[in-house]
Amino acid sequence: MRHFRFQIADCRLGRFWLLAIGVCLVTSAVGLPLYRDSLANGLVVLTYEDTRLPTVAVSLVCRSGSACDPEGKAGTAAMMADLLTRGTTTMSGDSIKSIVEFLGGRFSGDADDDNCGIDVRVLSKDLGTALDLLADAVLHPAFDATEMEIARSRMIAGARRIFDNPGAEVRYEFMKLLYGNHPYGRPAGGDTISLPLIRREDLVAFHKTHFRPNNCFVVVVGDIDRKGLVAEMEKRLASWSPDTVPAITIAPLAMPDRTRVKIITRSDMNQTYVEFGHPGIRGTDPDMLATRLMSFILGGGAKSSRLGVSVREEGGLAYDVRCWFDRNRLQGGFHATVQTADPKKAIGLMLRDIKLMYDSGATRKEVELAHNYYTGSFPLTYADTYGKLTQVRTMELYGYGMDWLNTFPAKVEAITLDQINKAARDHLNPGHYWMVVLGPVTMEDLGLTDVEWIE
Amino acid sequence: MKQKTHGIQLSVLGLALLAAFALTHASDLESRVHEYDLKNGLHVIVYVDSSAPVVSTSVWYKVGSYDEPLGKTGISHMLEHMTFKQTDFYKPGELDRIIDSAGGMNNGFTSTYYTAYYEDFARDRYELAMKIEASRMGTCVFDDSEFASEHQVVSEERRLHENRPTGELWELFSATAQLVNPERNPTIGWSDDVRNYTVEEVHDWYKKHYNPANAVLVICGDVRPEDAKAKAEKHFGRLKGRPVERRDCYDVEPKQNGERRITVRRRVRVPSMLIGYQVPGVRDSAWYAGEVAGGILGGGETSRLYKKLVKELGLATSVWGGSYVSRDPSLFQIGVTPKAESLMPQIERVVQAELDRAGSELASEREMQQVRNQVLAGQAFARDDMFRMAYWLASNHILYGTWRQVIEYPDHIDRVTAEQVRDYCAAYLVPDNRTTGILVSSKEAQ
Repeated sequence: MRHFRFQIADCRLGRFWLLAIGVCLVTSAVGLPLYRDSLANGLVVLTYEDTRLPTVAVSLVCRSGSACDPEGKAGTAAMMADLLTRGTTTMSGDSIKSIVEFLGGRFSGDADDDNCGIDVRVLSKDLGTALDLLADAVLHPAFDATEMEIARSRMIAGARRIFDNPGAEVRYEFMKLLYGNHPYGRPAGGDTISLPLIRREDLVAFHKTHFRPNNCFVVVVGDIDRKGLVAEMEKRLASWSPDTVPAITIAPLAMPDRTRVKIITRSDMNQTYVEFGHPGIRGTDPDMLATRLMSFILGGGAKSSRLGVSVREEGGLAYDVRCWFDRNRLQGGFHATVQTADPKKAIGLMLRDIKLMYDSGATRKEVELAHNYYTGSFPLTYADTYGKLTQVRTMELYGYGMDWLNTFPAKVEAITLDQINKAARDHLNPGHYWMVVLGPVTMEDLGLTDVEWIE
Repeated sequence: MKQKTHGIQLSVLGLALLAAFALTHASDLESRVHEYDLKNGLHVIVYVDSSAPVVSTSVWYKVGSYDEPLGKTGISHMLEHMTFKQTDFYKPGELDRIIDSAGGMNNGFTSTYYTAYYEDFARDRYELAMKIEASRMGTCVFDDSEFASEHQVVSEERRLHENRPTGELWELFSATAQLVNPERNPTIGWSDDVRNYTVEEVHDWYKKHYNPANAVLVICGDVRPEDAKAKAEKHFGRLKGRPVERRDCYDVEPKQNGERRITVRRRVRVPSMLIGYQVPGVRDSAWYAGEVAGGILGGGETSRLYKKLVKELGLATSVWGGSYVSRDPSLFQIGVTPKAESLMPQIERVVQAELDRAGSELASEREMQQVRNQVLAGQAFARDDMFRMAYWLASNHILYGTWRQVIEYPDHIDRVTAEQVRDYCAAYLVPDNRTTGILVSSKEAQ
């Protein structure tokens, strides 16, 4: 068994090096220890001891998500993960829910494009029960027919509801255009065509292929004794065997050769929803941090970013306007969104501001502000249990290394104006957008020139 | 498949651990909370938690949509937007830059009973939050052109609600179930009201409600209580307090003597149902029985309604239920996502039959204990995040009159008997006291 010890502390905030000398063994009020262990079967277990509350959260992450769904069966990973918590060969779904809800806990499974998994949250006195449930779910899922039909109905309702929410619908249509036949182009929760086609064998196969200890890791945050926890997990999961997990290889998305716009006219609405953008970069791209800082300056906040100032604060054209680059494993996208009664003016300002960033880049003052925001707010992002789970999960998923929480602020500070401006030149692509416009509008209302209108 | 019964029962050890946790939880909270008033009437609550080097600072004004006259609904929310524009400390457009530059996170929100603002910072800079909030409390500037621009932003926010069919169902359902109490009005305001505010009206609303004697300052996180007090005195102490008498609409709602129904037809693919019953609010002793009834009937996937509608009969894909936290008599609500519109009449019958059963039979001890367990576990989870902690302390102070309700709440729930739950259901969850709202697809969508 390998043990790595790591100390979390933010050097800029003082009084943490007290922790460095052996305080990892004792819970401190100042900082908390993060460890990385491996079980005999290769399963990585990351523990973040946090004894201030009698609670514990466990997240089991499988590095295969909806991108691995069988062709034409979008939603398989999500349904599989959901059903892991709804019955095993030794315990019914009702019994599991009954235990968890009686304890006041939560136990759920879900998937996104890149990953799927199970989350458990209980009082720490119930950790043993939580580990029992987790191990049973991983090792002996039943994929019970009745539970499967209930899950299918719920997911179909969710897929249909996308079209009852204009924000969700415009995103759905935009993702279809952006990704085309790429697996990210299909919703992780499936759609009304794919969900009825999923069979129990698909769930069994997905679980057998992807739910392997060498393709998963566990993050535990809370009131725990790490050594005892790792030993308990070893005991419960020893029979979980590793296997070869197929890798996905997908060709990079092509940049659209010009801007293409799809209009969905809805005369019963009094506001237009807009989303546009183009292919972006991989989550592990070395430019990702500079690109995130650049997009923060451009449209990271609904009020203080360039888009926020011109569209909302000065223009009064929208409640929310923003842009961002996805952080996905295979390839993310660049997105810009707004909801407005005056789409012509709002889109015009957004296109102008993005082009200006591409042409002229950011200013030193903007970069300084972005540095301050990212470094100053970083401790806030992992102050609570959910934040710790999320940050440790991200660290492991993207291979940032065990020192990431310590070194992230310095990495941000090291990003220069030139790197940010290079990111703008390399990763923004004005005039080459996919765009979806949904609302009480026609082509003429938008005043867009040099674009291709698509169905 | 061989089925194993629950591995977890009401073990003596489990209950003992839970009781021990409840005691520890209460005394630990007591030791961490410091509460006092400044001379100008500003009520201050400090919660000390040094486990992470962060501080959440928030100010809560005792004004919300509950206080608004007809024709001016949403004006508290409009005011909330305007307070981000300009004060003697920050010029137009500066506030967010100042906070971003200090690595902070901030926002504001308006609800029925309060309007709140918060800044989360690393602990070495939380005084900046005090400075910002004191300037917001005392020196907001109401410029005509800034108002014109922000008025459009709020109109766009209002349109976001109008273009969500479930939002429309919610608004019209509330306004149908409650005829007079201001809780019937949407926090963002009705469209026509939102269109017609003037800058003078919003400024007057500010002058009336924003002052130390009508506010609560909550500081949660890695602070020393004496340091927090000194900073509070320094920044807020110079402001003059004027107590504001709050309207009380406890008795205004007429007794309901028959079912009310509302249908919303929109372009939707998934129908929705809301079923509500007029019930006591937090100032009535029956409130706690309603909380337990909500947990038993509609709390989670082991609730009676979920088991019946989703698992046993397969009529719906989701269901939830419970009472709405309110100072006045308010609503016990049940939300259902039917599998099809045609199933709605059957769902209504099944729901009422379950409520009738709850009104005639005693809940099991396991059901009662589950609610108690969930309350205690929920309290532990709620203390995890500093802003959530602030929300918890401040909202309890405003709604119940004391943050200590946080400690007392589990005891109240503990004391509720199965007979009280049964009697509550029999008295309030009856057809003549019901409002049913349904969202169905318009012809255009079919």
